[in-house]
Amino acid sequence: MIYLDHAATTPIRDAVFEAMLPYLRERFGNASEPHAHGRAARAGLDTARASVASALGAGADDVVFTGSGTEADNLAVAGRLAGGGRVVASAIEHPAVRERLLAYAASGGDVAWAPVTGDGLVDVAVLESLVQSDDALVCVMGANNVTGVVQPIAEVAAICQARRVPLHVDAVQAATALALDVAALGDRATVAIAAHKLGGPKGVGALVGRGVRTLAPTVYGGGQERGIRPGTEDVAGAVGLATALATLPNGERRAALRDRLESRLALPVAGANAPRLPGHACLLTGLRGDTLVRLLDDAGFSVAASSACAAGDAAPSHVLAAMGIDDRAARGALRVTVGVATTEHEVDRFLAAFADVHARLAAAARAVG
Amino acid sequence: MIDLALAGAIDRPDGDGRAGGGRCDDAVRFTVAIDDGRIVAIRFGADACPSTTAAAAWLATAASGVTLLDAARLGTAAAQAVVGGARACVEVAVDALHAAIGDAFCRGASVPGDGRLAVAMSGGVDSAVALVEAHAAGLAPVGVTLALWIDPLAPDASRACCAPDAVRRARDACHALGVPHVGLDLRDAFRERVVDPFIAAYAAGATPNPCTRCNGDFRLHELVAFADRIGARRLRTGHYARVDELDGVAVIGRGVDETKDQSYMLARVPADVVARLDLPLAGRTKADTRAVAVAHGLAAAGVAESQEVCFLGGGQLRPFLRRAGVRASPGAVEDERGRRLGGHDGSIGFTPGQRRGVGVSADEPLYVLRTDVARNAVVVAPRSRLGTRQVWLDEVRLSVPQERYDAVLRHRAAPISATLHDGMLTLERDAFAVAPGQTAALYAGDLVVGSAMIASAPIG
Ligand SMILES: Cc1ncc(COP(=O)(O)O)c(C=O)c1O
Repeated sequence: MIYLDHAATTPIRDAVFEAMLPYLRERFGNASEPHAHGRAARAGLDTARASVASALGAGADDVVFTGSGTEADNLAVAGRLAGGGRVVASAIEHPAVRERLLAYAASGGDVAWAPVTGDGLVDVAVLESLVQSDDALVCVMGANNVTGVVQPIAEVAAICQARRVPLHVDAVQAATALALDVAALGDRATVAIAAHKLGGPKGVGALVGRGVRTLAPTVYGGGQERGIRPGTEDVAGAVGLATALATLPNGERRAALRDRLESRLALPVAGANAPRLPGHACLLTGLRGDTLVRLLDDAGFSVAASSACAAGDAAPSHVLAAMGIDDRAARGALRVTVGVATTEHEVDRFLAAFADVHARLAAAARAVG
Repeated sequence: MIDLALAGAIDRPDGDGRAGGGRCDDAVRFTVAIDDGRIVAIRFGADACPSTTAAAAWLATAASGVTLLDAARLGTAAAQAVVGGARACVEVAVDALHAAIGDAFCRGASVPGDGRLAVAMSGGVDSAVALVEAHAAGLAPVGVTLALWIDPLAPDASRACCAPDAVRRARDACHALGVPHVGLDLRDAFRERVVDPFIAAYAAGATPNPCTRCNGDFRLHELVAFADRIGARRLRTGHYARVDELDGVAVIGRGVDETKDQSYMLARVPADVVARLDLPLAGRTKADTRAVAVAHGLAAAGVAESQEVCFLGGGQLRPFLRRAGVRASPGAVEDERGRRLGGHDGSIGFTPGQRRGVGVSADEPLYVLRTDVARNAVVVAPRSRLGTRQVWLDEVRLSVPQERYDAVLRHRAAPISATLHDGMLTLERDAFAVAPGQTAALYAGDLVVGSAMIASAPIG
C-alpha cells in the first residue's frame, strides 16, 4: 500500500512519537496541579508552548492548545464574533471556517465572500474593496487544502492592519511547508495549526497570535489555556505538536517529487500557475475523481478526490467551483499529496498504476460518450 | 474491487442499452453480442461514481456467457449486496443492463427452450399477484414490461403505468422471486401506433379510446411476440376478464368482479392473441387480489392505480392536444338549427353527452350532441335529443358472428341488444350520447364476440 494523501493526514514521525511517550507514561500528571507529578507535566507543556510560539514568531502567552485544527478555527471565528459584526472571508476556506461562517450567516450574521482567481488565489483587489474599517473579522487561509495554492497573506494582512480589522489565518495546510510570522499579521490576528498534518498526533491543534487575548471563550471550564479553551491539558499532544513543528523538514524533496509526478502525467493541474505547497498536486483528470480513488485504492494507492458523490447527489468542491472550474472538470479532480518520507520509487509506482487505471477508465467513459 | 476488464463497447452489438442522467449525471452503457439466446460477449461503459461503476463492472461479469433470461435475473438488490453503495447509484447500472437485454429482444433475439410463462407486469398490484402465483405454481414465469411513451411534460409522469418507475417496480417484484424480468422499450412504436392516432382522432372531432386500441392492436401483440421469443406458449396478464371458447374460437369473457370487469378494454384483441392469454384474475375481485398481495408482502399492494389515459401522466387532455399541434380556437356553441347560443375556446375535447363546460343557459339542461370540426362548432341539445338507435361502425372485427349482439358503446355502459348489417348497428332501444371514436364491444351474453370503432351516430 502506497500512501499519497499526506494533505489529509501524514504519519507521526519517530522523533515526535519518542518525545511524546514520557508524557503518556511517567509524566502523566495533571499540569494544573502543584505537586511533583503536576509540575513534571507542566514543564513539558511550558516547553511545548514556548517552542510553538517561537516557531511562529509569537509570544508564549499567545498560544492556545486545542483539540484539533477544526477547533482552533472555530474558536478563532466564534470567539471573535461573540459580539456580532461583519465578516469577510475567502470563497475557498476549509469547512472548519466556512461551515462556521455559514452557520453565522444562517443565524443572521453578515458574511461577504471574497472571490478567487482562476489560479485559486484570493483576489486581493476585490478583498480590499470588501473589507470595511468596522468589520469584525477577515478570514483568509494560508494555503488551500484542495489545490495547495499559497495565499497572499502578507498583502491581506496589510489590508487588515490598515483598516484595523482582525485577521484569522487557517494555516493548517500552510504550516506543512511555510515559515509563518504571526507577529507580522497584526495585534488581533490568529493562526490555526494542527499537529497531524505536520507529522504529529491526531487530535491536537493550536490557535496562535496576539489575537487570542481578545477572544471570548466558546467553552467554559476550569480556566486552562487562558480560560478560552479550558480542559485538562493534553501535554503529550502539545509536546507532539511542538516537536513536529520544530523538526519539520523543508519542502524541497516534496517539491521535486511532486514536480516529477506532474510532469510525467501531463494533465491539467488546478492552481498550476500560482505558488503552491510543495507536496500538493490537484490533477484534473477528465474522468471521475471519486471513481479513480476507488480504482487506485484497489491497486494499492491511497489518494483523494476533491468532489464526491454523496448518495445520489454529486457535490462539486466549492474550492474548484470558486476557481471557475466547471462541474464536470471538478468532478475529475484527484488530489495526490506527497509527504516528507515519500520516495521516488513510490511516485514511479504510482505513475505506472495511474497510467493503467486511467487508460481503462477512459475506455469505459469513451463507451458512453 | 472494480474490475475494468470488460470496459468498452462492442462494435455492431446485438443489444445496446443506456441509462443515467439525474442529479449525479452518471452514465452507463452495456453492449452485448448474442448467439442463440446467450450473451457471448459483453462490454460496459461508465462515466459514473464508484458505486455505479462497480455495479456495472460486476453486472458485466455476472452476465457474461449466460442466457438473456439468466442475465435478466440480475437486479439491484443482488448487485448492491455485492458492491455496496447507494441503491440509486446501483440502479443506474442495472437499468442500463436491462435496457441492453430488452434491446436485444427488440432486435429479434430469442432464447431456446420451452415451458415458460410470460407474465405481463405493469408495476401494479394485479400483475404482481399474477406473477407470484405463477412462481408458486412452478410455471417458470418470465416478467415482461413495456416501457411506453409518456408526455414528457406530464405533471406526474412517474404515476403512469409503463413509466420508468413502474418498470423498476415490476423488475424488483420479479427479482425478489429470482424471476427474470425483461423491459422492452417500445416508446417510439407506441407513440406512432397509439398516441398519434389518438391525437388525430381528437383533431377530427372524435372521442378516441386509446386503451382498446393499445390492447387490440399493439400491446398484447408485442407481448405475445415476446412470449414467442422466449418459448412461452402463454402470456399471463392481470386483467379482470376471462378467456373462454365459443364455437372453437377463443374469446374474452367478463370477469367476476363487475366493478373491475375489463372485457371491454380487451374487446379488440383478435382471437389468435386471445388464444394465447392466461388471465388468472378472472374469478377474483379486486379485494381478493389486494388481500393476496398483502399476504405475500408485495410492495405493489399499496400502489395507487390510475384510470386515466396513461401517456397523459396525470396531465390534462386539452393542453396535451394543444402541445401536439391540435389547433383550438374560439367558436360557437349552437343548437341543432345552427343558432348561436354561446361560445367555446376550442371545440376539441368536447364529447357527446357532456354538460360541463358548455356554458350556455337555457330553459332545460343542454348537452353536447356532436362537434362540427369543419365549422369549429359545438352543437348542443336537450337530453331527449341525445338518444340514437343507429350507429355506423368502422373496422368491424367479428370473431364469432351472431344474429344479435349485446352492444356496449362506452366503457361501463349498459349493453343494448342490437343487430349488425353492412356496418350499421341497429339498437333495440336508444343509446345515450354515442361518441364517434369510441369502441363498440359486441357481446354474446358475457362473451366478447366482436368489436368495431364507432364512426358516427345518425340522430333520430
Ligand atoms: C486547511 C485546513 N483547515 C482545517 C483543517 C481541520 O483540521 P483538523 O483535521 O485537525 O480538525 C484541515 C484538515 O483537514 C485543513 O486542511
